Amino acid sequence: MIEEEKLEILTESAKYDVSCSSSGSKRKNKQGGIGNAAASGICHSFTPDGRCISLLKILMSNECIYDCEYCPNRRSADVRRARLTPDEICELVIAFYKRNYIEGLFLSSAVFESPDKTMELLCETIFKLRKVYNFNGYIHLKGIPHADGALVMKAAKIADRMSFNVELPSEKSLKLLAPQKTKNSLLLPMKSLNNAIEYDKQNKVRRGKVLPAGQTTQMIIGASPESDGQILKLTEALYTNMNLKRVYYSSYVPVVQSSKLPSVGAGLLREHRLYQADWLIRFYGFGVNEICAEDENLSPEYDPKCAWALRNMHLFPVEINTAPLEVLLRVPGIGAKSAYRITEARKFCKLDFDNLAKMRIVLKRAKHFITCKGRFYGSDNFNQVKTSLQLADSSEISEQLSMFSDTATALSALTGNI
Amino acid sequence: MKIFITDGSPAAFFTAVFDAYSEECVITSDSSIQLSLDSEIVRVQYDDEKCRRVRNGISKYDELAEDEILLALRSCDRLKEQIAFGYIKKIMQFKAPVRKRLSLPETIELNDLLYKVNGETHRLKGLLRFMESRDGALYAPYSPDNDITDLLMRHFAERLKSEKFVIHDVKRKIAGMYDGNECIMGYAGEAEVYLSEYEKAFENLWKKYYQAVNIKERPHEKQMKGSMPVRYWKFLPEKN
Repeated sequence: MIEEEKLEILTESAKYDVSCSSSGSKRKNKQGGIGNAAASGICHSFTPDGRCISLLKILMSNECIYDCEYCPNRRSADVRRARLTPDEICELVIAFYKRNYIEGLFLSSAVFESPDKTMELLCETIFKLRKVYNFNGYIHLKGIPHADGALVMKAAKIADRMSFNVELPSEKSLKLLAPQKTKNSLLLPMKSLNNAIEYDKQNKVRRGKVLPAGQTTQMIIGASPESDGQILKLTEALYTNMNLKRVYYSSYVPVVQSSKLPSVGAGLLREHRLYQADWLIRFYGFGVNEICAEDENLSPEYDPKCAWALRNMHLFPVEINTAPLEVLLRVPGIGAKSAYRITEARKFCKLDFDNLAKMRIVLKRAKHFITCKGRFYGSDNFNQVKTSLQLADSSEISEQLSMFSDTATALSALTGNI
Repeated sequence: MKIFITDGSPAAFFTAVFDAYSEECVITSDSSIQLSLDSEIVRVQYDDEKCRRVRNGISKYDELAEDEILLALRSCDRLKEQIAFGYIKKIMQFKAPVRKRLSLPETIELNDLLYKVNGETHRLKGLLRFMESRDGALYAPYSPDNDITDLLMRHFAERLKSEKFVIHDVKRKIAGMYDGNECIMGYAGEAEVYLSEYEKAFENLWKKYYQAVNIKERPHEKQMKGSMPVRYWKFLPEKN
């Protein structure tokens, strides 16, 4: 059984990784084995910071040969170091999984000895976990930049999901802050994995599919000068060219003192707005250009959909009983589920304002942009609309970001001082 | 007004629907229901024929409704029978599924029940905690709002195919048992479990992990409690 201290060191080193989801794979239980994967993903616990625990998120080692400016585990940092063997990891996963503590493993590592050596041991670990420990639960493996392509491909046949982190939103920033990682060392493996996934899809491969839950990536926001517009352009390109399942944003937190890094963090609001924009791109049919110009940042006052609607007031109000789904999706305050429910319900009878309220469609924003049976319930005064949208947003934001029990921690969290 | 009181079983409910259908009445399994002066109590006796006819009647117009109703009847809502009854009446009235009539109050109410039962089932697939006993069998006590033990049994029997385990609803005093082959449901009052010698150590590792993965400089208790309500904490090692 592994020592508590090792577990502590390697968990604390892994905790800033954002991704946690266990969705997207329907791996079946094999004879005599343990575990399966639920396509919906399952959360097993929630920590006091409000994040969910789905996977055992851990580094194999935090001994690193790289010296990335922003990373607490960089070579020149003075921190406790530890390493686990493949068997130690496997045993822990099985013990935790059996007790239903976790949905699977999220294994990552600092780069020790060499990228190939690290990737090889990561590969060996998940290979053992599947073949020797007979584990059919969820595995998310972090890709190691500069590792041999054949090793990466081998890992992709075992894992449910892999992620190479683009780390920073531009090549220039990458050169400055993570000089040992190159754009190609991150994007080329992503590309070849995507090719392999596409190949399986086209050839309708059923058994032993490569990465059934696809790829994701993560980037740090606010450690470098890129605008939200640039970040979202990159995001859009990653979704279209690499078919990523998710792009995660991690707002910069100054844990490391460096002249190359800003001394204040990016704040959670910026991260929040980026995720909102990300959702609009993936599920609401928006193009980046509509949401944010290349050299601009998202509005802190309004969520991106409201901001878009305020710029396009000539398109509103729309009639709830006739507007097509794509149009409903663009109404501020109406989410994908609500839009779908409206289109279903109106097949049977015309909906009025009261119906919408009873169906629990949230109307505090939407009422300014819709008519029900021709009647308008919002305000004609543009400034009033703006104020009411702002109010709706700030009450939600304070709900989401004010989780901080006192002002001092609230400020430190917003500035990212931790 | 007639009040039909059932024993809480689906069969008794369907029987009651048969008897209650043509009148303005109430169906409930809640014997603490408030009575008014003009109420007439009918204790429902299960009747195979009536039950069958109601089920067939529903299936004739909507093949999926019976499963929805069975799911809704697992709810802890005091009005669940009445809501299910209202939903059935609507199906009969329209002679068609009403599932997608999303502005219909009866559909909204039934969907709310389904949302809660399905939601808790999904949530507990994550929050249930097993402990390993001395003979290697896994034991999970819990206390759900809704009656969902057999639904969870299906999930875990698929997942932990070669393990033996017990899921114990300590509030309703029922347990599901899986012996590596099949699931059985039964009555279970108190359970005595002798833990394996490693159990405490793994529990401690898990608590250590839970502590270490938290970013304590960014507390967000409200979100934690929203996703993991306090009533479930009693059975979570990391919260004790």
